[in-house]
Amino acid sequence: MADPAPRERAPDERRFTAMYDDCRQRVWAYAAARAGRQIADEVVSETFAVAWRRIADVPDPPLPWLLGVARNVLRDGYRAEARREACTAELARWAPRPSGDIAEDVAERLAVVRAMAAIPEADREILILVAWQGLSPREAARVVGCSPAALRVRLHRARKRLLRAADAGAEPAAGPAAGQAAADAGGRPVRPQMGIVSEERA
Amino acid sequence: MNDVLRTLREARPAELNPDVPVGDEVRRAELARAMAAPAGSGAREARVPRRSRLRPMWGLGLAGAVAAASVGVVAVTSGGDGGKAPGRGIQAAPERPMDSRTILLAAAEKLDGATETTGAYWHKSTVGTSSWLVQGQGKERYTVLLMEKSDEWAPGRPGGKMIGSQQRLGVKPATKADAAAYARAGSPKSLSLQVPIQPRGKGTYKAMKVSTGPGRVETSSTPLVGGDKVYWLGRNVTMKQLQSLPADPARLKKEVMRWYGGHDTEASSVPMKADAWLFRVAGSLVTELPVQPKVRAAAFRMLAGLKTVDSVGKVTDPQGRTGDAIGMTEKDPNGVVRHLLVIDPATGKALADERVLLTPAANDPRAAGTVLSSSSVMTMEWTDSAPK
Repeated sequence: MADPAPRERAPDERRFTAMYDDCRQRVWAYAAARAGRQIADEVVSETFAVAWRRIADVPDPPLPWLLGVARNVLRDGYRAEARREACTAELARWAPRPSGDIAEDVAERLAVVRAMAAIPEADREILILVAWQGLSPREAARVVGCSPAALRVRLHRARKRLLRAADAGAEPAAGPAAGQAAADAGGRPVRPQMGIVSEERA
Repeated sequence: MNDVLRTLREARPAELNPDVPVGDEVRRAELARAMAAPAGSGAREARVPRRSRLRPMWGLGLAGAVAAASVGVVAVTSGGDGGKAPGRGIQAAPERPMDSRTILLAAAEKLDGATETTGAYWHKSTVGTSSWLVQGQGKERYTVLLMEKSDEWAPGRPGGKMIGSQQRLGVKPATKADAAAYARAGSPKSLSLQVPIQPRGKGTYKAMKVSTGPGRVETSSTPLVGGDKVYWLGRNVTMKQLQSLPADPARLKKEVMRWYGGHDTEASSVPMKADAWLFRVAGSLVTELPVQPKVRAAAFRMLAGLKTVDSVGKVTDPQGRTGDAIGMTEKDPNGVVRHLLVIDPATGKALADERVLLTPAANDPRAAGTVLSSSSVMTMEWTDSAPK
């Protein structure tokens, strides 16, 4: 190259850009599943702005940390009701009620996606992290800020509620009560209870 | 439904697939917005991040260009410093344009006889422009073009490294009116670009400071993804896969449509029509990817078969080179945008791709005719060496 004085990019910038390339779609997918595409765009933007400002604090691997930031941005930036409405609309778009005959496994998958709208937000979040993001219980626990053991318990409960909602035909739990319950449940670590843990092992 | 978790895993909406790279335009806006603030504690001027190597330009690079006479939009002329400068808008000549089919088939025929010997590296060099808003005097806002040169050397064999170099060439007002607004603001040497907070353009902006002069050359060297993936064509592809793409237009179309999922070539969250996808894929094949000349010919023939492609006629590309342009009009978050591909009729090679804002969305403050972005192909060839 004829250009004088080539220079390596600043390490921070390189690291940040690599981190963005590796994780951006995951952060977006997490936020979109929780609060719809539009809010997801804003959450992603804010999350990476935070990551850049705090680049020295970002651990390796960065994904759980980034998802944790996105989680806080969602919680602090958007009302529970707004999150729930956007999420319900998005899930309905992803899994429209089938018209006419479709294969049983397809119908089953659509029903499960619709059922995601009918369970409390905290359950939904755990399922998104584990089933859709593919995180291990340990990583998911880091995102939501609880112990891996507590996470397993919450996952077990969430799975049961999802199954129930899917079997019940996945009518979204409408009304402010459901939204409120979801908001209350959000973010609070659940203590592991022996009974439930053993049930999960069974 | 005995394993509901498994069913849920299988039911993940395609839009949430994290393996699809983010669109370049979104990527650029988000990185710029994030890095608008100083990193950590150390303050420094934020730079516009370079485009990622793995991504061809379809997504973002595409720059916009100015309006095409055939659609009745007034061409924007270059601001201030004369016509030949990069970043200048396309201007259509008064003559009646050839139809797009004629342009494309003629280009394909030029390429039919061409051969290319491969080398150690595929080198491509481009000069790109992107348009940004700047706060002027009082409430006034004007548009500037940020110009960037970028070079890339992709290894011909697995296991090598992708070598890159990028340099900001400068920033200048987009049009005469913008140049006047810049002068009213006191012709500052440093500008605060307004970077949208989020890519869909609603609402607020963050400031990003850039100087109007050239920046330093930045180099990089990155191992290939998975050891052998060089580019993205609806999925990550190896040099070998690119070299063995079919030269028959129907088979090429079938092959690339296999990776079309109804979404953008890069951002899975952006829905896209099949024709628009083919336009981008074909554009990428002729403006940047290491494929054989006969595959580029097939890409042109594939485009010739699309009804949504139309002709713009004779234009001047952002580097002042004359060519024939074809285009496709699309609605996107910016409004109605026209994608242009400029072809050199003498060689059948692509000169530039551009994106022109025809009808700005209600919330977009930019004027109709704004060149959103452009990328001019300066070099595209096999070479035996790359800089270290």
